Amino acid sequence: MMKSFLAVLALTTALGFPAAAMAKPVTLTTTLKDYGGNGAYLAIYVTDKSGAYAGSLWMAGSKTKYYKHLANWYQATGGDTGQINGITGASVGAGRTLEITLDLKDALFDAGYTLHVDGAVEDMRDSANDVKVPLTTAGAGKPVKGRRYVSTLTYGM
Amino acid sequence: MSKTLMILVASTALTAALGVPAWSAMQAPAQGGAAALLATLADSGDTAARLILVDDDEDDDDDEGGSVGRRKSDDDDEGEDDDDDDDCEDDAGSCGAGTPAAAPAGSVAPPQNGLFGTGTPQVQVK
Repeated sequence: MMKSFLAVLALTTALGFPAAAMAKPVTLTTTLKDYGGNGAYLAIYVTDKSGAYAGSLWMAGSKTKYYKHLANWYQATGGDTGQINGITGASVGAGRTLEITLDLKDALFDAGYTLHVDGAVEDMRDSANDVKVPLTTAGAGKPVKGRRYVSTLTYGM
Repeated sequence: MSKTLMILVASTALTAALGVPAWSAMQAPAQGGAAALLATLADSGDTAARLILVDDDEDDDDDEGGSVGRRKSDDDDEGEDDDDDDDCEDDAGSCGAGTPAAAPAGSVAPPQNGLFGTGTPQVQVK
């Protein structure tokens, strides 16, 4: 009885370990500029090496009527909120820092994937691809400057 | 003398030739028809003839970018939401766009898009 229990335990551990090793916590730190407006909507998503939309990582802002201003993300998803279920939070104020820790697959790194951030602020210009940075292990921890609303974005592992 | 008389007759004939059609035209609106319709449309006192505002967009800076929210400034863009003072002030919900709001982080698992492992997203704003 004890032997069979240990055997099952060893088997489940052996099967579970590789699955756990395939993903790791990655922290995305996005600091916004003091642009002098309301909270920014940010769509953080990934495209593959062919440039095709691969999936969303985070949506800052919950009012769906504003999603069309996140132009590239909206074009890729049609505003489908199924893409951002469970990864949606509040919009981010000017000068604030959004820090998200996500359990991401290792396969996302050094495989041609690119991280994008689209931004939009009420009464201000939309900013598709405010940040666009390849996901590589070498690029981890290095701040990348944004174009309009994002001051810097850093992903750390 | 005959020359003076001839000039008088000629000028009278010319006046008559120009004046009679003009006089007839002035009397025509009272007789109805298309002229009467034109007169009605031109009458500013008639409430049936209204000015129609074709375009209230006074902006002239038509750039490539859009914006979220109102369109009051000269910064014309593709923003179409001209009222943020609606019943969607709670920053949570679909706000009438016909699209259901996304489930907030922590309430359900992240989407199965092949990017996520099994961990739960953690977020903080500093």
